[in-house]
Amino acid sequence: MKMKVSILVCAALSALMATFGLAAEKKYVVGVSNTLVGNGWREEMVCSIKAEALASGMVSKVILANRNGGPSEQIADLRNLISAGVNVIIVNPSDRKALDPVIKQATDRGIVVVAVDQAVDAPSAYVVANDQTAYGREGAEALFKMLGGKGNVVEMRGIDGVPADADRHEGFTEALKKYPDIKVVASVFTGWSPDKAAQAMKDLIGSGKQIDGVWTSGIDKAVVDAYKTANLKYVPVVGADNNGFMGEQIALKDAGLVGINVTNPPAVGGAGLSVALDVLQGKKMPRVIHLTPAVYDSSTPEGMAWLKSLYDPSVDPNNPVYSSVKPYTHYSIEQEKACKGPGE
Amino acid sequence: MTTPAEDKSLVMAVPSAVSKDRLVTRLRRSLQRNPSLFFMPAMLIAALAITVAIHPQFSDFDLQSLAMGALPLAFAAAAQSVVVISGGIDLSIGSVIAVANVLAASTMEKASFAQSLLLAVAVLIVGAAIGTLNGLIVVLSGIPDVVATLTTGFIWGGVALLILEKPGGGAPQDFLNLGVGTLFTPWLPNALVLLAAAVGVIWIPLRRSKLGLQLYAVGSDRVAAFRSGVNIDRTRFAAYIFSGLFSAVGGLSLTMTTGIGAPLAGVYYTLSGLAAVVVGGVSLAGGRGGIFGPVMAAFVLTLIPTDLIFLNIDPNFGQVIQGTLIVTIVMLGGFADMVRNRK
Amino acid sequence: MLVSVGKAYSAFSGCANPGLRGRTTPLSQFDLMSDSSLLLEARNVAKRFDLVIALKAASLQVRPGEVHGLMGSNGAGKSTLVKIITGVFPADSGQIFVKGVARSFRSPAEARGAGIVSVYQDPALVPDLTVTQNMRLAGVSVDAMRKWLAELGVLKLDFSLLVRDLPYPTLRLIDLARALASDPAVLLLDEITASLPADLSERIYIMVKRWREKGSAVIFISHRMAEVSALCDRATVLRDGVMVGVTERAHGSEERIVALMLGAETARAVATAASNRPSRRTPRDGQIALEIRGLRRAPLLNDVSFKLYPGEVLGVAALEGQGQEELFDCIAGNRRYEEGSIFAHGKQLRFRHPADAIAAGIVLVPANRLVALLQQRSIRENVALPAFGGIRNWGPIRMSAEQSRVKSAIARLEIDTRAGSELRQLSGGNQQKVVIARWLASGFNTLLCFDPTRGIDIGTKRQIHALVRELAAKGSAVLLFTSELSEIALACDRAIVLFGGRVVAEMPVAEADEATLLRSAHGLAPLAHAAS
Repeated sequence: MKMKVSILVCAALSALMATFGLAAEKKYVVGVSNTLVGNGWREEMVCSIKAEALASGMVSKVILANRNGGPSEQIADLRNLISAGVNVIIVNPSDRKALDPVIKQATDRGIVVVAVDQAVDAPSAYVVANDQTAYGREGAEALFKMLGGKGNVVEMRGIDGVPADADRHEGFTEALKKYPDIKVVASVFTGWSPDKAAQAMKDLIGSGKQIDGVWTSGIDKAVVDAYKTANLKYVPVVGADNNGFMGEQIALKDAGLVGINVTNPPAVGGAGLSVALDVLQGKKMPRVIHLTPAVYDSSTPEGMAWLKSLYDPSVDPNNPVYSSVKPYTHYSIEQEKACKGPGE
Repeated sequence: MTTPAEDKSLVMAVPSAVSKDRLVTRLRRSLQRNPSLFFMPAMLIAALAITVAIHPQFSDFDLQSLAMGALPLAFAAAAQSVVVISGGIDLSIGSVIAVANVLAASTMEKASFAQSLLLAVAVLIVGAAIGTLNGLIVVLSGIPDVVATLTTGFIWGGVALLILEKPGGGAPQDFLNLGVGTLFTPWLPNALVLLAAAVGVIWIPLRRSKLGLQLYAVGSDRVAAFRSGVNIDRTRFAAYIFSGLFSAVGGLSLTMTTGIGAPLAGVYYTLSGLAAVVVGGVSLAGGRGGIFGPVMAAFVLTLIPTDLIFLNIDPNFGQVIQGTLIVTIVMLGGFADMVRNRK
Repeated sequence: MLVSVGKAYSAFSGCANPGLRGRTTPLSQFDLMSDSSLLLEARNVAKRFDLVIALKAASLQVRPGEVHGLMGSNGAGKSTLVKIITGVFPADSGQIFVKGVARSFRSPAEARGAGIVSVYQDPALVPDLTVTQNMRLAGVSVDAMRKWLAELGVLKLDFSLLVRDLPYPTLRLIDLARALASDPAVLLLDEITASLPADLSERIYIMVKRWREKGSAVIFISHRMAEVSALCDRATVLRDGVMVGVTERAHGSEERIVALMLGAETARAVATAASNRPSRRTPRDGQIALEIRGLRRAPLLNDVSFKLYPGEVLGVAALEGQGQEELFDCIAGNRRYEEGSIFAHGKQLRFRHPADAIAAGIVLVPANRLVALLQQRSIRENVALPAFGGIRNWGPIRMSAEQSRVKSAIARLEIDTRAGSELRQLSGGNQQKVVIARWLASGFNTLLCFDPTRGIDIGTKRQIHALVRELAAKGSAVLLFTSELSEIALACDRAIVLFGGRVVAEMPVAEADEATLLRSAHGLAPLAHAAS
């Protein structure tokens, strides 16, 4: 709460300065590096950075270095951003270690570097990431509690070997230890692909195994759809804050669908920029900030209210819903949806 | 019968006394034959000039960025050029680069500088061996080169994942400095020196050897080459060995510039390397072009996303610009051929 | 005239090779030996390419200090024999002896090492290399090349030019000079003079004679009979892949050579066919369907003029590479011509694209069915393709109208559709009929048939002949080139003969027997006229 107040004061101050024409020196240039194009989550992440830049009033422009590539391409992009004279770099890193030298070069020049979504080893960079272990644990615990601590569950994982998947599985396993009567009847890698997940779920349903609940690493709609197609009674499904999944929970509430949503907001990008701006204002910030996911249960009135407030039928069902991360972000959902940075 | 001396004066179109004119004639002719000899340096200079114009703070830091960014692509382009000149194509280059990259990063992590140099030589040998296998499959099986190398590309990609499941590994800093440091002055990045050295050591002797001539001959007209006494299979086979070798150098350079091995990092270089080959004036039909054009094209293609960042233009335009550039150049090449053949 | 052919053949039959089937018994010591006084001997060489038998039993004996002519009509196997001797590809059976020693070369380079060098029909120079680089490639010294080129009269040649940029006759001379530079014991010249101007041919003759004088041998292949009789000491004649005779003196043996090339049976059969054929009235009245005036396209087409009337089948006879392909392509709008004009029904035509020719009602049936048809599509689509190729037809296809036209075209040609509707499942003959059917469906005035029966079985051949006659009877004009001279008598009303890119003879079908055509096609004066 204290922080929120200080941010408000800061924003008010900058607005004041802008009014008096003193803002010229205080306008920062923000560089964004992303090496995965055509992914809904990453698109919204970029939008949240732009929206935060606009809402903060402290950013003159956002330079986007956005292309498909590996560490080599990202190093080149970061160097170009450094050369372009940015004050802040928000980077969704393609590798934990490979960017260390270039990050050091940036911070040596006084650039604030924030790695979002995934961590980097470079000690001079800030890290703002969703806590993936908590993601696995919180969702699983909510599910196990809902099942009364007893029953058969399915674990639908992501891609083997990817850090986020490993962390979420760790959290899932932690939760499992607290509920000894919960039995995992199947653990499947979906590759985060809806097709693969749908096929796996169809096979599991067809196998005739008793399934009381399904935990997913984000491929949630495919599981609901498999039950819908099989015309079976819905079981509780744990998913992320994905637009399609959320819409189904609203539409199929009366049909008996209960969903548990664990947030993994792309707004972590905007939060990263907010942290960077704080640092530029001279504030002391922790090097690593883990955003703890929130859990919403569609069977509760609060959960349903949250679903209805964020669900947007015009957004692609496979994309996450547009959201903000309080207390870090300052933009409105409309600003994020508009996806316009300062001067655009 | 005439004496040899008389012969010479009769045979030469231009008397050797007027050597200055001859030089001009030769220069003009070589430009006519291979327009990219003139076109590519001009394009590179233009691209650099544009970059400096939109980014007047262009410094040694930017030059190093360019050299580091273009290095793996330049080697991929060189690898592809050799095969394309011989009338083939190699779609496994990206995967071979990945194998060399992860092999170097996984073995060099705890090595000394001297050891890492030895390991680098071993990686080059592995690269040439992979090229040998590619060549054997293409030449002996009779499977079209596109299909054969696409398939082996999957195999080498899998091998890279077996060596290193996820990004990791490393190499001694001295070794990395071969790709990221500078020599004498900050304006001379080691990456450029390395590129010049590798191309100079591998390509120039090859170009001047009989094998080099045979590569061009086989790419230009297989029947005529065969009748001139060229062993077609052996020549095509050799092209793939050189492709493997250049790819391995590319993989090493990727290790140098990123400091790690990434099993999937190589995949970008198959297609972008081919793009550099086309932009660099090598005919996909074979027999025409060289290696310097594609290497310079690698730099031009690297400057495109750089300029977009400096201009703060939506980077998705990068694809559009690159595609437009390739189409334009291929069309210009076709137009030049048409004009030639009309004569 | 026919008698004289028969006489010539019988007088010569003693030389025919007896061993047509080749030897299947294990080779005895004797087989491995050869007369060491011979520079080169080929014995019973056989070669087949998939289903096509190129050589059955080809033999050849070349002595030192002779110019040896290798004769035969199209497809007799001359070029195949040359390529086997020089190691381009291996023989299936038979042997090659060089100076009495059995050899089998795996590449032209190896043959060159043994002193056997060939100048092939098409230039063997790499187009994207300079002359100097080509010499380095073949391991020939540039100085030797300069010397030999000078001997051939080429004094001013810039060796740093790309081969691609050099004119065709120069390339032939470079090819020859390169062969001479390796000082071959046996020099094989395959149609080297075919498209050279007379003065350059003359230089080649001089060089050939010099080679004979120094005790080496030259194997000379040419379609120009005059050349052969003037230059060659002896000649070996191939027919259908078999050595059928050797003339001990080429000069003055022209008639014998022609007779050997034809074969007695063919000569008789053709004679009967020609004499039994009712003399058809050539419809000179009315319009001219197609008139060609002074058509020229360097280097192979030099001044071709003729007229084609509606309801007439005009046969074109020519040996390989006499400009017939260029002629047909020019008329069909596939290639551009440099000079001359084309009139159809009195109107001058200018083609920018094959579609212009099709629009003018001139359609081509090419020899290579693969280039004309979509192998993986149905017969119906293939037949319908050109009819719907026009810009007007970019809209939806009217299925019913298309179906009926296509059906009637298929029915008319008796295309055997049992093999399935996909085109690649049809036999070669039926595929050729599909090409004709598509033009029937779209409509035409003038049909250009370029060797339509190449590689087709005899039954289908007859059907195609009958079809061509039927089309003519219904008023179409047909221009028919065939590499089988006997077909002219079977299908045509009138014939022209091309030689060196010019029309050298024109005759009604009654006079167009195979012997006459072959003589004209070799550039000899027609004997029949002299006799009558």
